[in-house]
Amino acid sequence: MPELDRRHFLKLVGASAGAAAAAGCSDPVEKLVPYVIQPEEITPGISVDYASTCRECAAGCGLQVTTREGRPIKLEGNPNHPINRGALCARGQAAIMRSYHPDRYEGAMVRKGGVLERASWEEALSVLTARLAGGTGASLRVLGRDPGPTLGSLIDGFIGALGGDPATQHLVYEPFSQEAIRKAAGAVFGVETLPIFDLSGADLILDFGSEFIDTGPSPVEHMRQLAEAQDLQKHPEGGARLVYVGPRLTLTGSNADQWIPARPGSEGMLALALAKRVFDRALKSGREIPGDARAVARALSGVDPQAVAREADVDPATLDALAEELMAARAPLVLPPGVAATSQRATASAAAVLLLDALLGAVGRGVHLPERETAAVPASFEQVRRLVQDMQAGRVDVLLIHGTNPVYSLPAELGFAEALESVALVVSFAPLADETSERAGLVLPDHTDLESWGDLAPRAGVRSLVQPTLRPLKDTQALGDTLLAAGRALGDRVSGALPSGSFRSVLERAWSDTNFRTALATGGVFGDTRGGRARPITAGVANLEFREPQLEGTGDFVLVTYPHSFLGDGRSATLSWAQEIPDPVTKAAWQSWLEVSQATARKLGVDFGDVVSVDTGFGSADVPVYPRGGIRDDTIALAIGQGHTVGYYASLAGDGEPGVARGASAISLLPARTDESGGGAWLVTRASLRPTGGFRRIPLSQWTDNQRGRNLAPQVSLASLAAGDDGGHGDDDGHHGGNSVASAHFEHTEAGVVAPFDRENDARSDSPYRWGMTIDNDRCTGCSACVVACSIENNVPTVGEEGIIRHREMTWIRLERYNGDGDLRGGEERRPYPDREELGVTDVRIVPMLCQQCGSAPCESVCPVIATYHTPDGLNAMIYNRCVGTRYCANNCVYKVRRFNYFDYSQTRLPGLLGLMMNPDVTVREQGVMEKCTFCVQRIQSARQVAKDEGRDIADGEVRTACQQSCPTQAITFGNTRDPKSRVVTRVDADQNRSYTSLPTLNARPSITYLTQVKRGAGEGERG
Amino acid sequence: MTPPPPATAMAEMIRPRKTPKDSKINLDILSVTKGTSLSYIALVGLAALGVTQALLTLAYQTYEGLGIAGYQAPVFWGVYIITFVFWIGIGHAGTLISAILYLFRAKWRNAINRGAETMTIFAVITAAQFPLIHIGRIWKFYFLIPYPNQRGLWVNFKSPLIWDLFAISTYLTISLVFIYVGLIPDIAIARDRSTGIKKLVYTVLCGGWQGTSRQWKAHNRTILHLAGLSTPLVLSVHSVVSWDFAMSVLPGWHATIFAPYFVAGAIFGGFAMVLTCLIPVRRIFGLEAYITDYHFENMSRFILLTSWIVGYAYGMEYFIAWYSGVEFESTSFYLRAFGPYWMSTWMMITFNFIFPQLLWFKKLRTHVTFLFVLAFFINLGMWFERYVIIITSTSRDYLPSVWGLYIPSAAELSILAGSFCFFALFFLLFLKVFPIIAITEVKELVIHEKMHGEAR
Repeated sequence: MPELDRRHFLKLVGASAGAAAAAGCSDPVEKLVPYVIQPEEITPGISVDYASTCRECAAGCGLQVTTREGRPIKLEGNPNHPINRGALCARGQAAIMRSYHPDRYEGAMVRKGGVLERASWEEALSVLTARLAGGTGASLRVLGRDPGPTLGSLIDGFIGALGGDPATQHLVYEPFSQEAIRKAAGAVFGVETLPIFDLSGADLILDFGSEFIDTGPSPVEHMRQLAEAQDLQKHPEGGARLVYVGPRLTLTGSNADQWIPARPGSEGMLALALAKRVFDRALKSGREIPGDARAVARALSGVDPQAVAREADVDPATLDALAEELMAARAPLVLPPGVAATSQRATASAAAVLLLDALLGAVGRGVHLPERETAAVPASFEQVRRLVQDMQAGRVDVLLIHGTNPVYSLPAELGFAEALESVALVVSFAPLADETSERAGLVLPDHTDLESWGDLAPRAGVRSLVQPTLRPLKDTQALGDTLLAAGRALGDRVSGALPSGSFRSVLERAWSDTNFRTALATGGVFGDTRGGRARPITAGVANLEFREPQLEGTGDFVLVTYPHSFLGDGRSATLSWAQEIPDPVTKAAWQSWLEVSQATARKLGVDFGDVVSVDTGFGSADVPVYPRGGIRDDTIALAIGQGHTVGYYASLAGDGEPGVARGASAISLLPARTDESGGGAWLVTRASLRPTGGFRRIPLSQWTDNQRGRNLAPQVSLASLAAGDDGGHGDDDGHHGGNSVASAHFEHTEAGVVAPFDRENDARSDSPYRWGMTIDNDRCTGCSACVVACSIENNVPTVGEEGIIRHREMTWIRLERYNGDGDLRGGEERRPYPDREELGVTDVRIVPMLCQQCGSAPCESVCPVIATYHTPDGLNAMIYNRCVGTRYCANNCVYKVRRFNYFDYSQTRLPGLLGLMMNPDVTVREQGVMEKCTFCVQRIQSARQVAKDEGRDIADGEVRTACQQSCPTQAITFGNTRDPKSRVVTRVDADQNRSYTSLPTLNARPSITYLTQVKRGAGEGERG
Repeated sequence: MTPPPPATAMAEMIRPRKTPKDSKINLDILSVTKGTSLSYIALVGLAALGVTQALLTLAYQTYEGLGIAGYQAPVFWGVYIITFVFWIGIGHAGTLISAILYLFRAKWRNAINRGAETMTIFAVITAAQFPLIHIGRIWKFYFLIPYPNQRGLWVNFKSPLIWDLFAISTYLTISLVFIYVGLIPDIAIARDRSTGIKKLVYTVLCGGWQGTSRQWKAHNRTILHLAGLSTPLVLSVHSVVSWDFAMSVLPGWHATIFAPYFVAGAIFGGFAMVLTCLIPVRRIFGLEAYITDYHFENMSRFILLTSWIVGYAYGMEYFIAWYSGVEFESTSFYLRAFGPYWMSTWMMITFNFIFPQLLWFKKLRTHVTFLFVLAFFINLGMWFERYVIIITSTSRDYLPSVWGLYIPSAAELSILAGSFCFFALFFLLFLKVFPIIAITEVKELVIHEKMHGEAR
């Protein structure tokens, strides 16, 4: 044994004990490794923005991808882009998580022994090429989303090179294809393209259920146009009045000034009846009919407006008044039915609306008819049906599926999933696992859209580029490159017919007519987006057959299936934010719910959350009911989008129940029916209801829509606004418990109305800034883009179904939804009680509620550790590291905007690589601390640093909060209230009569001033 | 405060049935500390088990987060704060009995003051844990303490929670000193009657008490001064705790009546808890000669009086809610009585105001079983009083859009049960270590009575 004396022994013991103790009590060492060779454009700590294109829906909005150190951390709208002009909807913003999603495939997958297994790309590709080499080109089919012009022609070229016919073998598939409107335009105007609607110049908008605010063809654009048409500065007389026709109060209906709850499916006949009135009047007054008057007369010959009104369950007087209003309006615009109203007579319905538009002279003004469509025209439902028949008959050998999930989105009756069995090789290019890719024999995962090159031409005049902003995180390959590689592997015969080089070089060549680099920087090439010219009504209109649609089935109720505001056709169900943001109308999240009328609920003896079985004869589903006043008694409604069985968030996999569907799929209830023109129909069946006795809590973020006369969401009519009233909130001191917004609350100074913004004590007297915000409730549509923008900017976690059920949502901004002024009823229930909706009444008030950054904040004084305090420029700052979590501030916050970290969400709610999405400028909060809106203090700080470097103050508009940036209607203005010329102050100045603060009697001195919502009554606007 | 009863009537009532000898008093009372029966061990074991399960829950809560409790917006305070206020309230009767009644020379207190003080100490210690259990980051609890540090971080002296910290720590300190000083002569008696290690411990603890008149003089003077010091604390502690609520802006919390309302409630609940503790002790250890019906009757009178103060506060809250004309207030109180938590509210009113009215009957005031049952209901009622104040007010506040419900979770109930076990455990252990009745003070009473009894 070697010498080990006592001294040496003690030394060793001491050293090892010390080492053990040191190792035990410190975290593992993590080194920050700097760039060895720093990329030219990247400065650590400074974000770089790239222009790209959003692929979450068909609208084709431009993106501005904010990246930090090579990682996209936020999606914003591209200000150059003509469609969205800087704004971006909730879905589009949530799409950022696709790249970091736990559902992503790690690499190529090959089915071996019935199970998808990871394989090398060579192996996977050889499976495809072996099959392609063996078969004929005619047995190949490609089914996918609009691939964009360049990838589209590559796919076509690939099919052609194999000897196939791209025209029949490449199917672009959009579940909500708008086939009916396209065909209707063909019938009425003789040009079969999708009309483009421009709301901005209208003074009366009649919406037959297009749902242009949330799920229409281009929500961001249409919201912006609506706000423009209703801008009270531009239109002091009040701006556009919005009238909504539909069986249930949707988000668009909530924003309307009038709601006509017509029987579902009667939209077309109502439009026709209105057209008849307009036509008759025009004939009488001798006004010119824009087009073939004889054909119009023939089309309208059998129409009896009185009978139509009765059939549609609409008061004939209402219809007459509406007709009068349309005729009196300067620039009326009528929008055709959307998905939920696509019946088997959808083409005729849309045609009736377009006819009405034409008769009202809206064509060329609000309705634009492009000569051609630049976006890929989706295959009609009939074509998809033929594909399925081909598959069943074994005529399809290889089926390539990309960017779409037909197993989910096609009605079960069509048998697509079963037909897949008959296809020798199903190849999915899905980067994220879905129902279709899980059934494929081969998965060759595409890059996500943030990792890809590509382009899109959503409409004439818009050529938009998609550029990668992230190096592929998984072992994926771009679809274009996969096809090119397959072509090369198939030999010269095929590769010779395909372009050479990588897909990126193909793209660059395709854009060779323009400066590619400049186009990349701006996001694309943008021209006149409307295009087209006014066209006359053609004789084709007389060939249309107008009548009420027949519904299948024998149930008591008409089943309305409508696209979920944030899940769309179901493709966004995998995005946790799309699931988490409460539906703007029902305030429900993460689940399916069946809307029934309160009378129906009473008749069935069910209440909130009681599960009923919906049976259409084509399928059935167990869904909890949501009784509401805002739906017809003969109608029930179920959102499309839930019911996925694959996906971390889309199914219950993330909640520990893989393979179990989240909610119910509305599509599974529907038969495969088409309208006259072969487009898919969604309003096709009746359903019967049967209580099951079960109960499933609907996760609701808000339990009541009754504001109890507290004037939290006031409304003012145009008449009283013109008369100089302050929104009806000065006259209710007595019966609203003294919580009125007295106009005296605003101090009128020489600089205009700067108070309640600017009190001496609300910020330090020597500070040049006192940050404040103005929110125009009249512009707010409730689209929730701000909620997602805020959450992604500020690393706010989602809390999931259980979290919402327990009122533990973390969003820093929420949209409160009230109906009417409210009364003192309610509050006793242990169940939700949104009971203030009434059929045919739309009086919805939506108030964005976020931290009011009070001048005299109740939260600050009670915090024992000064974790929340007042900054010199008037913000209520939070020091997360100091917070011990007494939650006193949250109790004392009268606006209830403080959020508590009940769990360690940063650990539990960020599976996969989602942690990479975090904004490094914002602290990720620990379990047990409070958090809240900071007015995007990180943005203020970076602007302050720039301004300081340049030796100046922060300019007005230099800091834009995330919510403000994303808002499609620019309802939110942020700025320095100490500067009387700043937009935030001048906006209040200009609209003093509409300004109010929330809960003024408590004297918390909030720094947010709201502008009251305006109700535009019929005929009121004309006085101006 | 009730005026002390006239001296003659009092003297009559305080007389134990027989006047025992000094040595018998020593033996009687110290016998409580001697030997451990199987049922005693079982009780201690049960209590220890209860504490252990609560500790495990707390560990889980610390690891997992407060999400395992029932909190949900807009209710951010729940069972932990309720239980905190409950135990702080319990801790009031002890000081009231030992200090205020001492100053009023209400000699009848002597037999029960040790029990009440013991209860106070353990109640306050139990309560003091709850703010820590309640906070989100228990491992950062020291942020709440104003200690000098290099970062220059200080606490917010404007926050009522910091006032709480001072009020409770002061109260606990004074109460500890008070009970210890009072214990010294009794420890000396125990010292004289024990052997071995026990003797050593008692010797150290009694600090060389010899029973000389000099020592007695100093002792009595100290008690008097401590009583003087403690008296304002009885009023201040619960006033400060009530300001946790009264200083906020919530309808249902923001009320000037809170301080006296809470103090009266605390005394009310504290006396009920004294009954809950002493009735079984008296029965089990056969102390009927020392804790007599007279004591129970006096305590009952206190309960009756304070039930009226509490009842008045309940009524006044509703009156002001209506009279102020503020819709937030009236809605809050309407829903308190008829909203989702109506049962808690009516339980509170029934147990705290209606049931105690039975104490108008003298027969019931001295009926020990009845008192025990009544005290149980009052304890329950007082817990629910805090439940009503905290939960109903927060769940129905300013913005109806965020209104929600709070339902205590299993974790919270586990810790709530643990707190009772914790209290019971230490009370039980105390019984076996120190005399539960102040021996020397009882002797004083006996002497007092002998002298005056003969004169009568």
